[in-house]
Amino acid sequence: MSPDRPVFLNLARIRFPVGAVASIGHRVSGMLLVLALPFAVWALQRSLEENAVFETGAGWMRLPAALLAWAAAHHLFAGIRHLLTDVGIGSSLPAARASAYAALIAGGAVGLALLLL
Amino acid sequence: MRLLSGQRAFVVQRLSALVLLAFVAGAGVRLALGAPVTLSQWQAWAAQPLAAALLLLGAAALLAHAWVGIRDVVLDYVRPLPLRMFLLGMIVVALALLGAWTALIVLSHAL
Amino acid sequence: MRFRIYRFDPEKQGKPFLQDYEVRLEPSDRKVLDALERLRAQDDSLAYRRSCREGVCGSDAMNINGRNMLACITPLEGLRQPVTLRPLPGFPVIRDLIVDMTQFFKHYHEIRPYLVNDEPPPERERLQSPQEREKLNGLYECILCACCSSFCPSQWWNPEKFIGPAGLLQAERFIVDSRDRATAERLAFLDDVYKLYRCRTIMNCTEVCPKGLSPARAIEHIKMQQLRRSG
Repeated sequence: MSPDRPVFLNLARIRFPVGAVASIGHRVSGMLLVLALPFAVWALQRSLEENAVFETGAGWMRLPAALLAWAAAHHLFAGIRHLLTDVGIGSSLPAARASAYAALIAGGAVGLALLLL
Repeated sequence: MRLLSGQRAFVVQRLSALVLLAFVAGAGVRLALGAPVTLSQWQAWAAQPLAAALLLLGAAALLAHAWVGIRDVVLDYVRPLPLRMFLLGMIVVALALLGAWTALIVLSHAL
Repeated sequence: MRFRIYRFDPEKQGKPFLQDYEVRLEPSDRKVLDALERLRAQDDSLAYRRSCREGVCGSDAMNINGRNMLACITPLEGLRQPVTLRPLPGFPVIRDLIVDMTQFFKHYHEIRPYLVNDEPPPERERLQSPQEREKLNGLYECILCACCSSFCPSQWWNPEKFIGPAGLLQAERFIVDSRDRATAERLAFLDDVYKLYRCRTIMNCTEVCPKGLSPARAIEHIKMQQLRRSG
């Protein structure tokens, strides 16, 4: 009866608005943070041990640290954006676009800062 | 609110987010405005009962928030029911273990 | 003007492909639909839906250069060439730019898009104050074109279970209607992990609505009302 109907869903051919970019960043950053959870708990344990030493990261730790910093910052800013939209602040289209840009730029800045400093 | 209702998860996610926001703000203010925290200062602070309670509250909020978030991702992308149930089950176990580990760390330091 | 159009013929074997066209336009051709009509004069196998040609019926919703729009009110000027026309994302393609809207309308029916009021009808109308009528603004104007729902990632991942922005906007239209008496049931029906709560407030819906409506805001209101009900 119904022939095999194709579906157009090539994400590379769809022009996403800035809000969608901020949103996927929110999801990706969330997943990264979850993966980092065991490490975070381990770090907490280490910090409370008697012979704990405050180590500055070895060279190879720069990239993951910057990535995690971006993830935490972006997730935080995009999250605040969502909380504000929940109560009606910034839910108009121009405001939502502006806040999406703000979240993306602020998160990116934090990640970049950790990469370069 | 029904047990598995969407609204319940939504509220948990938003509430835990607010708690975490408060924590981040508090920690941020302390680290930005006060003198740099030394390791021994941190350990001394974390040994107090109130601090331990705060850390546990923060951890609980973090795990609840992570749970709702991961669950949303699984619900979105994992279509077969048995696989979905299995994944969600594994994730609950993993998060519970992390919670238990954190509680162990915090309480053994404070007590 | 150069166009690149998604073609699919269910009667021929083979996968969908993009076909290039070149069309000479008259000065009176101002919208994408005008160009499509000329293209169809060149190639009458090209299939698309259209009706009112003025942006009120919603028939010619399609993906134009990556965004969902109504062909009849999208100006040709300023469009990057080749203007790429594709069917609405996520919906099964019947032929060329024509998609199967069955699932979309199923969700619309699910939310009971009609007034539920068993009170004996008054002699004339069920009255509504101007303030009460105000609440329907931004909701009743929906033309069910599906630009929003077919641009929603949550709808792409769960087309059968998530009701989608259009359905939810219409649900809100009846929830806030002062003449409706089924508010509690409507809200309870939507309190579901899939039906309503797949919405992540990505806001793609509001971005593409050709009537300037905000399904995202409507969904926000539904969530708030559900919260208020449960105390």
